[in-house]
Parts: sequence; C-alpha cells; structure tokens
Amino acid sequence: MLAYRGGDAGAFDRLYARHRARLFRFVLRSIKVRAAAEELYQEIWMRVIEARGSYKPTARFTTWLYTIAHNRMVDHWRRGGLSLVSLDDHEVPANSPDPAQHAEAREALARFAAALERLPPAQREAFLLHEEAGLTVSEIAAATASNQEAAKSRLRYAMAKLKAALDDD
Amino acid sequence: MTDERDPKLSRRYRELGAEEPSRELDQGILAAAHRAADKAHAPLVAPAGRHRWYFAFGAAAILVLAVAVTVQVERQQPDPEAIPASPAPVRSDREEGFSQQQEQQEDRKRAEVRKQLERPKALSDVAPTPAQEAPREPSRDAANRVEPEVMASAVRLSPERLLERIAELRKEGRHDEADKALAEFRQRYPDYRISDEMLQKVERRK
Repeated sequence: MLAYRGGDAGAFDRLYARHRARLFRFVLRSIKVRAAAEELYQEIWMRVIEARGSYKPTARFTTWLYTIAHNRMVDHWRRGGLSLVSLDDHEVPANSPDPAQHAEAREALARFAAALERLPPAQREAFLLHEEAGLTVSEIAAATASNQEAAKSRLRYAMAKLKAALDDD
Repeated sequence: MTDERDPKLSRRYRELGAEEPSRELDQGILAAAHRAADKAHAPLVAPAGRHRWYFAFGAAAILVLAVAVTVQVERQQPDPEAIPASPAPVRSDREEGFSQQQEQQEDRKRAEVRKQLERPKALSDVAPTPAQEAPREPSRDAANRVEPEVMASAVRLSPERLLERIAELRKEGRHDEADKALAEFRQRYPDYRISDEMLQKVERRK
C-alpha cells in the first residue's frame, strides 16, 4: 500500500489480486444480495483508493482493509434501518429457502448456510473476519472498533452456533 | 482459543463456494486505481505524449520574443557613453581630423550647391530672355548666363550629361564658359575619369 501511495499503480494490482476474492465473499455473505454486495464491494475499494494518502502502516493492510469494509457495512445497515450492535443479541429470522427443497447432497451445506445467515450481523461479521479474512481476535476488535472481549465473545458465539448446525448433520 | 480455527467448521464454510467479483467489477476498480495513481503523480507542467511539443515551441517563442524586445529597447535607448558630456565633444586626434575633413567636405558641397542654386536666380534678373538672346558670340554676359545654367543643372544632371553639355559649349566656340564649367566639373568630381574621346571634346584645343 505504501508503494501504491508512492505512485506505483502495479502495487495496487498486486494488493487487489491478493484480497479481492476474500473481501468479496466477506461482503456477499454479510449482505446476501449479490447486487448490493457488488456495490458495497466497489465502495470499499474506492475508499481504499481515496484514503491511500492517509494510510499508515501501523497495522496489517488486511486489518485496515477490513476496517474500511466494516465501516461501509455499518453504513449499509444504517441505510436499511439496522444496526450491527443492536442486533448483537437477537437472532435474525431465517429467510433462506427451506433446505429440504435442495438436493440431498447439499442439505447439510444448506443448513450450515442457513445457520450462518441466522447469526446476528456482529457475530457473523466476527466469524467471517476470522474465517474469510484470517483476522485474529485482536484484529477483529480493531477492525470493528470494538474491544477485544466483545470481539472474542462474538466470535465464540458464532462458532458455537455454527458447530451446532454441523452437529445436526 | 478463538484464534484457532475449527477444521470441520472451516471445511464446511469453504464448501459454501468460492464466489468472486465479476471481471467488469475488477476492471472498473483497477482502472480507477490507476487513474488515481496517474493523477497524483502528474507533472505540473510537462505533459506526456503528443502535446509535449507545444511546450517546447512555447518556450522557444518566449525566448525569441524576450531577445527581440531586449535588442529593440537597447537600440532605442541612447548609449550613455555616446552622449557628449559637454557641447564640445571630446574626440581623439585621429577622429577629430577625420571628422573635420568630413565636415569640411560636406560644407564645401553644401556651399557649392547653395551657390549654384542662388546664382541662376541672381543672374536671371539680368539675363535676357531666350527671345532677346544675343547672337552666339562669346561674351562676358553670355558666359555669365550660360555657365550658371550648365552648373545649375549640374545639381540634377549626371557627370556624363554635364560633360556632353560642356562639349556642346566647346563646339559652339564658347570656350571660356566651357573652361569654367570643366574646371568646376573637375572640382566637383575629382575622381571621375573622363574618357579620351570625351576629353578631346571638352578640353580646349591648342
């Protein structure tokens, strides 16, 4: 990122190639609607480009990138009248299709996907940041502007619920 | 504890799929990033590509204009060293001698022309009209009348034409007038080489 800030456009290409798929999945599985996810994904990268001048290598680029992603996500939820934090302790009702309608081979996976979707946004975000972006608890706390205990708690709850969905297989 | 992944959970999560952004989305973002990088490092003056020659041409034109204006201003301003400090210019001996010679020559020429211009007028008061003109015998009056005519016309005649006029006087037997005119011609054109043929016509034969 420092190289890109210095005018090396090729450095951005390398950064983008490294993070594009993971970030996109993080956004898509948070938003669920592909069109909205693509829009948000683009917004995140535009923000990265705009903010290149203020980038300071105090943390991993990944953490900085997902901090931006988190802030964009919060804005998205706010636009929809939702809040990541306020929904922390409330289960979101599942609106995915009935797994029974899927083929037998994909039934278990559908249940897992449904369980992921049912997670409260903050817990889902913590799980996705951990699983998709590879962030540690500390980094999740930094990226989501929360303390380490809260981040740890969210992640623990998310993993417990998803494991429970797996145990149902 | 939570920093470690659950392998079973991770595997199931991977099975959800590997969605990726579309190629169009990638290209749009990368293009925006490149534009931003180019813009941030665009030079203030020097452009790239085919517009570069505009600036070279402009710089050359400004340079030429500046030199031309400087030269013009210097020409219009009098050289302080060339302005005499006193009414009497201080010159070197050589310059002074040369200048005096020049001035004397110019004075002589001016006086001669003035004399030639004034004389016909003075003589015309006493000179007879062409109708009253006396027979073509040499006389003092005639000499006084014709010679100024010849030399007055010298102001506008070429040396060759003057010699022809002198030759005519000689042919008409007006030798005194011809002698005077020839003497004056030689004074005026000291460097003029008269051909032998013309010399026979204008000089008095002994």
